[in-house]
Amino acid sequence: MRMKYMIDRRAFMGLTAAAGMAAGVLAMAPTARAAEDATTDIVLGGSIPLTGVFAFAGEGIHAGIQDYVQIVNDAGGIEGRMLKYVPEDTAYKVDASVAAFNKITSQYHTNLYYGDSTAFSKTINPELERAGTMIMAGASFASELNDPEKYPLQFIPGPDYTEMIGILLKYIAKEKPGAKVAFVHSDTEFGRDPIAKGTEQASALGLDVVETIVTPPGSVDVSTEVLKLRRARPDYTIFHGYVLAPIPEFITQAKQMGMESKFMGTFWSMDNSMVMKMGEAGDGFMGVMPYNYYYDTSGDAPMLAKIREIRPEYQSTAYMQGFLTTMLMTEAIKRTLQDGKELTGANMKAALNSIRDFDTGGIIGVPISIPGNSIPVGRIYKADMAEKKMIPASDWISLGKTGE
Amino acid sequence: MDWLFLTEVSLAGIGAGGLYALTGLAFVLIYKATRVVNLAIGEILMVGAYVFFGFSAGLALPFWLAAPGTLLVSGLLGAGIERTLIRPMLGENPISIFMLTIGLGSILVGLVELVWGANPLRLPEFMPTQPLFLGEAYVSPKVATAFAVASLVVTAFLILFRFWRGGVALRATASDQAAAYSMGIDVPKVFSLSWVIACMTAGAAGMLVGAIGGISPTMGVFGLSVLVVVIVGGLDSVLGALIAGLAIGLLEALAGAFLGGEYKTLTTFSLLVLVLMVRPHGLFGTHEIERL
Repeated sequence: MRMKYMIDRRAFMGLTAAAGMAAGVLAMAPTARAAEDATTDIVLGGSIPLTGVFAFAGEGIHAGIQDYVQIVNDAGGIEGRMLKYVPEDTAYKVDASVAAFNKITSQYHTNLYYGDSTAFSKTINPELERAGTMIMAGASFASELNDPEKYPLQFIPGPDYTEMIGILLKYIAKEKPGAKVAFVHSDTEFGRDPIAKGTEQASALGLDVVETIVTPPGSVDVSTEVLKLRRARPDYTIFHGYVLAPIPEFITQAKQMGMESKFMGTFWSMDNSMVMKMGEAGDGFMGVMPYNYYYDTSGDAPMLAKIREIRPEYQSTAYMQGFLTTMLMTEAIKRTLQDGKELTGANMKAALNSIRDFDTGGIIGVPISIPGNSIPVGRIYKADMAEKKMIPASDWISLGKTGE
Repeated sequence: MDWLFLTEVSLAGIGAGGLYALTGLAFVLIYKATRVVNLAIGEILMVGAYVFFGFSAGLALPFWLAAPGTLLVSGLLGAGIERTLIRPMLGENPISIFMLTIGLGSILVGLVELVWGANPLRLPEFMPTQPLFLGEAYVSPKVATAFAVASLVVTAFLILFRFWRGGVALRATASDQAAAYSMGIDVPKVFSLSWVIACMTAGAAGMLVGAIGGISPTMGVFGLSVLVVVIVGGLDSVLGALIAGLAIGLLEALAGAFLGGEYKTLTTFSLLVLVLMVRPHGLFGTHEIERL
């Protein structure tokens, strides 16, 4: 027996009309949203790690972005358009960061985005390119991201990790030619990032890498590793892939064994408040920092003065990173609009790359250029525990494109 | 062969193993009495470290007040958790209780972040800082102190379980709850006591771990690495926690020194797999036979 599905003419017409309306609404929605936003706010979305393992940085980044957005808007916005910051907490989890990205970009016509990790930057890159409507930066200084061909719409607001090591090695080669260097890094993607290229750079600079020590993530006691370091007797020991632990215990034990190595770190272990927590062990700790510290009053630094006016208490280097990222993004938008171009990802990135000898108001102590995806500039600082401050130990050091 | 280096590495490994053994003890005490695998031990350890930080850095109390204060708060925390969260769940599916302890860990991390923030911190120095040399071999004074404390505590527990009434009651409860009830043992009180003592032990371990590696809301991860120790040693064996702790500490140190730091975890987990294949209940755990 054959079943007959009957539909009368009236029902058919009704269904067709409903489907047509739905299709029309769906088709018009993005156009309507884009048209509306083109005359209103410029949206900076953010996957921000306000909780979780990276919250110490997330809080600073969040405050830095907030403050620069406020400064821009108080000054009338960018070409008359206000900057709107839309953050979401991610707890430093990639799935949460992607969910935040999807939520924000579906609710707003997003022009700018701040990502919280290397993993997120890599994960979201195809989507970023597919959308083609925004540029992105973030908390990651991963060397892999410093490739304009693979990551055409992203940038790093400072030197990448390999360039940071390059700046440290350049300093060492000048201070003590032929010095013995050891790397100590965590067994994470973050920790491993610059080691292979850093070893090559050291050889090119005539330095001798005598030991590379790996510590498992979350390791508490590092006695074995310090014993290995003592055998190698390096003149300089460079830590990478840590924030605080296990650096203080490492240095303490090394000094107890009579080692005279100088200890150095990269960006995430160089915040003033973190180094000061090292106590006695931190005295003389050195490292590379692409930004001036909050309290720096030397030179012409109106932006640092402004920050101190907004927030009288110390702000971290993560704050400076968030602040500068927003400043550079704003500059890219401004240049794109001034050129009369549409705010596409490609146009904004081209505008960003047009930045030459740009004055950051003292956030970075020298004028900067962004020819590619990074700003290969930094300075060596040294901890002075009596002053409770990181004190400059070198002038600003700029690297060529190859990091040499 | 550099014998001095080997000796120093071995001493460092055994020292670190003491910390594993102490934290493992907290797992064992709870499992032995209540058959609950408490995955929040790492976070309780972390709370202990922060409470000590609060007393010693926040309130600037001397060590002799801050340390007992930390143990007291840790014990009260254990009593509170047992009475409000665990006891109502007894008799439920073990997976439910297991999941509850995972959730409890997240809550504790959140509470610590609310009170102290998410930044890593350093505990005020309370351990000896003078370098220690056994002959020519260097031993980190902090690790040596932690090892001494851990050895004392574990030995004390081994003695208590054998001779103290409460310890015997705990062993009886672990062996057969119904029989323990019939002999007049207050089993709920034993449950509570095991949580109190285990959390105090975790609090003490938190002070030691924090003094060496610093404190942060994520330091509870240390508890997970200790889970391997107690599985190898046997979840219900105090002696197993001690021996497995020392053995894994030594193994990790040797692997780190001669193979590289990236092989530490691989070596530990290889040992875990090997032990589970040969003795699924751990080296010293009770082999339970279910009769139908």
